[in-house]
Amino acid sequence: MMDRMSSLQIWLAGALLAGVMLLANTASAQEEVASAIRRYKAYEASTGYYEEYEVLPRRQLPLVSVPGVRRGLFPYSPTAASVRNRSRLADSHLGIKFYERRRCEACHVEQTRDIHTVRANLTCRQCHGGEPVASINHYYSPLNPIRRHAYVCAKCHEGASASYASYIVHEPAAGSSLARTSFPVLYYAYWFMLILLVGTLAFFIPHSFLVGLRELLSKKRKAEK
Amino acid sequence: MTQISHIKRFSIIDRVFHLFLMLTFILQTATGFSRLFITTGWGKKLSYVFGGYETALLIHKWVGVLMMAGFVIHTLYLLKRIDWRNLGDSIFGPDSLVPNHHDIKHLWQRILWFFGLGAPPKLNRWSYWEKFDYWAVYWGLPLLAITGLMTMYPFVTSRVLPGWSLNIAVFLHRAEAILAVAYIFIVHFFIGHLRPTSFPMNEAMFSGSVPLEEAMEEKPAWVERLKAQGELKKSAAAPPVTWYRIIYYVFGYAVLICGVYLLINAIIYSRQIALH
Repeated sequence: MMDRMSSLQIWLAGALLAGVMLLANTASAQEEVASAIRRYKAYEASTGYYEEYEVLPRRQLPLVSVPGVRRGLFPYSPTAASVRNRSRLADSHLGIKFYERRRCEACHVEQTRDIHTVRANLTCRQCHGGEPVASINHYYSPLNPIRRHAYVCAKCHEGASASYASYIVHEPAAGSSLARTSFPVLYYAYWFMLILLVGTLAFFIPHSFLVGLRELLSKKRKAEK
Repeated sequence: MTQISHIKRFSIIDRVFHLFLMLTFILQTATGFSRLFITTGWGKKLSYVFGGYETALLIHKWVGVLMMAGFVIHTLYLLKRIDWRNLGDSIFGPDSLVPNHHDIKHLWQRILWFFGLGAPPKLNRWSYWEKFDYWAVYWGLPLLAITGLMTMYPFVTSRVLPGWSLNIAVFLHRAEAILAVAYIFIVHFFIGHLRPTSFPMNEAMFSGSVPLEEAMEEKPAWVERLKAQGELKKSAAAPPVTWYRIIYYVFGYAVLICGVYLLINAIIYSRQIALH
């Protein structure tokens, strides 16, 4: 009896230890919510309703992550993001000639073809902010993943979380080589579905057509007899 | 002995399920396409039928929920149809829609027959392409349901999955819908209406019965099996009455025309949507 009890305890302790080690750690709110009154209302007209957590998910779930942002000791921090990412300038368009006379879509053609632009008729500035337009990973950019959900997404999508904000608004064309490197899941989903579609139709359309043709011939033959 | 003119093929439950699927599928196609093509003139017009962009989505969601319920009920019905005491026969037998080794043989024989190299396969109750029709819907529906639910509840989804899974969900929903629409409105409609033996319409799914003569020609192994088991008399059915035939001809052709209209316009206007 005692043996069984102690082995049970060991197992329980082991499971607890594994849980602590393997499951994601908890994270407390960050300094953006410095006071109970000065919340995001200070920046945007909104109902002020967000998820129960304001900045980070209260407890990070194992399957939920934000692409391009490393999790760990300092999750969502700009220094933890990939070093090669050069999009951390305070004025991302600094030094571009005749910048003030150009329109966004003159350079960012691909970025005007998503649902937010085409369907909801959003303008670039509604998310990227006014001049100077900061790079999305600049520390004070509203589009920085540490605050994107609250500063940008929640303007329309009330209750947006950090994970929710990792929806790729400027989705690359699903079958393109760009998608292969930047959004591989979408890329492989695209090719899987395309092969399925083309394969199904390439088999069944000639199949049905040949059935029709063959039946027509045998009917004709019967009628002749 | 009285002459048997028709034999039973589909039970009333089967036909109700098919009718349900016809109505919900055409509605989902129309509301879904009205949103997919909203930036084109045709898509706008189509959305007016359903009260605009937002209302079309509302209808699409509710019909989707209805379809999910239909799927669950159908699955329960399937489980009830299985003869648990005689499981092997019930699942792999000739009255089952589960693919078996005969289907591969029949496919090969049919390909040979296309080119005049052999006799047509002696098909049993369900041919391999009918089985494909059935299972294509059976796996397509849950895929559309799951991706549809994900986009219906994006906040809940992003709590258990990363937010970018919504990109994948929207893509899969759209791609699977296009696959289903293309298959049904091209292949299924051709098999059911245009091929010489079923032209102008294969009535079995509405009347529930097929002429014995047609069954002997199309599904010889099925009729032989019924004869051998002495069940041919039991499965005899009366030919469909005229007024009922008129109803399902009108209804069937109405849905057919809607489907072909949607398909042709979708192909025409697909060049005008540059969305990704």
